[in-house]
Amino acid sequence: MDIYQNIPGLNLAPQRTSPQMWLKTVLLLGLGVYFIVVIGTGSLTNYINERFAWLSYVAAGIFLLLGAHSLYMVLRPEHAVGKDRSLSWGALSVIAIPLVLGTLVPSRPLGAESVDRISTSAAINAAGSSISQFEIDPLNRNVLDWLRVFNSVPDFAELNGQPADLIGFVYSEPTFPEDQFMIARFTVSCCVADASAIGVPAFYADTPTLTQGQWVRVQGAFQVGQFRGDVLPVLQVASIEVVDQPEHPYLYP
Amino acid sequence: MQRDSFGGLRNLLWWAAGVGLAAVVLVAALSSGQDAATILSIFSTRFLGIFIEAAPFLLLGTLASGLIEAFVTADDIARLIPRNKFASPVVGAFLGFLFPVCECGVVPVVRRLFLKGLPMSVGVAFLLSAPVINPIVLVSTYVAFGVGPILIGRFVLTIAVAVIVGWVFAFSARPEHVLRPASLVPVMGGSSDVLKLTSRKSFGTGLREALRTASDEFFDMGRYLVLGTLLAATLQTLVSQDTLLALGRGPVVSVVVMQGLAFLLSVCSTVDSFLALAFVGTFTTGSILSFLVFGPMVDIKSTLMFNGIFKPRIVFYLILLPFLLTLLTGLWINLNLPL
Repeated sequence: MDIYQNIPGLNLAPQRTSPQMWLKTVLLLGLGVYFIVVIGTGSLTNYINERFAWLSYVAAGIFLLLGAHSLYMVLRPEHAVGKDRSLSWGALSVIAIPLVLGTLVPSRPLGAESVDRISTSAAINAAGSSISQFEIDPLNRNVLDWLRVFNSVPDFAELNGQPADLIGFVYSEPTFPEDQFMIARFTVSCCVADASAIGVPAFYADTPTLTQGQWVRVQGAFQVGQFRGDVLPVLQVASIEVVDQPEHPYLYP
Repeated sequence: MQRDSFGGLRNLLWWAAGVGLAAVVLVAALSSGQDAATILSIFSTRFLGIFIEAAPFLLLGTLASGLIEAFVTADDIARLIPRNKFASPVVGAFLGFLFPVCECGVVPVVRRLFLKGLPMSVGVAFLLSAPVINPIVLVSTYVAFGVGPILIGRFVLTIAVAVIVGWVFAFSARPEHVLRPASLVPVMGGSSDVLKLTSRKSFGTGLREALRTASDEFFDMGRYLVLGTLLAATLQTLVSQDTLLALGRGPVVSVVVMQGLAFLLSVCSTVDSFLALAFVGTFTTGSILSFLVFGPMVDIKSTLMFNGIFKPRIVFYLILLPFLLTLLTGLWINLNLPL
């Protein structure tokens, strides 16, 4: 006897394979393939912290497992275990939304146009990382490492003359002086839901020639200066070149 | 039949949610002076970010649910739960360590446990506490905050709130007042059918049954996840963080703001500690704790999922009671403890 038999809210599917059953199978396999494509093409890093990539492998595996089992039941209905619950087209189309968005909209990381509030400070990791940002060679520090250094030095003047080599996207607001911009990145702890924009202020006479959101590699040295009304270390740009968007567009705190 | 009026109401709710969402998207699109392609791109990234992060937890939850359905009998669970009205919700609050699921995965498991005849008070205590009281969240909270007031406070408060709400349901709720008809019948019909059905079966058959249940549940619960994620992604693209943060230093306002933020952002309980870190400098300790206790219990995503098994009035109480309890503790901490 089936527990669903007497439940008015659930219909028993006919013994032959329903079109909904086919769509269900296609969606499960489709989502499995989508996860594999996202992992394979590297666009996974547009969405989540690389640290949690293994979760996407798990998801791909389970989707394919469920899809394969569903396909087996579609092809060999006589071997089906238990009764099929028919799903409405509405419920199925809702599940299709991520697949449709993921397939039709080109994958892009959050960039300059998604910056809501940009910060020039970053919390120092209490327990998360064992490596102090001071142990990193100044030329290997990224935007996040530098902001942590800003937060931990007693006096910004200590940083005067320190060289830096940074990759980020160009960010400026209408209120910025003509010769200033920010080398900006998004930090992502888990996924883009917690993305927040951070940036290192930069002084560059030819700032107007830069395009908002463009990825650049900037070399120069810090000098304490004024930025947005605050006293901050400002990177004096010595050289700047346009680069491709890095493989990992976000920094992971 | 009663089911028809419920079906009508549910359809109406789905339509209202759809129209509301479309309106919000339209307002968002019109008010941010950016072109449609850019907005769609940002929206898509934010939506898929949450979906990709949440999907594995939902799948693990539905798989756990399927395995419980196939291999765990009502007897097994009954043996774990004391008969005592006061003690059983306490056990329910710790069940997460046996069934480690996050907030996306907990709802299908709870529904399955109700079908198995789990007492209502235990199910509710489990529903509210499981997203936090499990090994993964323990580790992520430790990594973010170390051993200190936040880690200890989060776990103690979550258990306290879950047990108190569980007790409320132990005294006042009967299954027919609480669950949607589709979730209800096996509970009302007594557990004898369920017991008969789940007598031990071969491993292979059980596994295939588990897979079938898991995919059914994925579609059942997945639509709530997708709708909730659509809403959360829309709000993230629309509401400026500055607006929320400007509200944030008062002992009262900060708590309410963080609770609202937890509800709106719908971030998974396994990672919300890292998000909370961003507010440590600017927000009161009480509000951070309220965020970490209230958020895993109630947010847009889980509200929509609650709606799949509980009647609307009960969904309202499941939001209101944790909200008030975490609000009060948050306030008390802000006013009395020099943290």
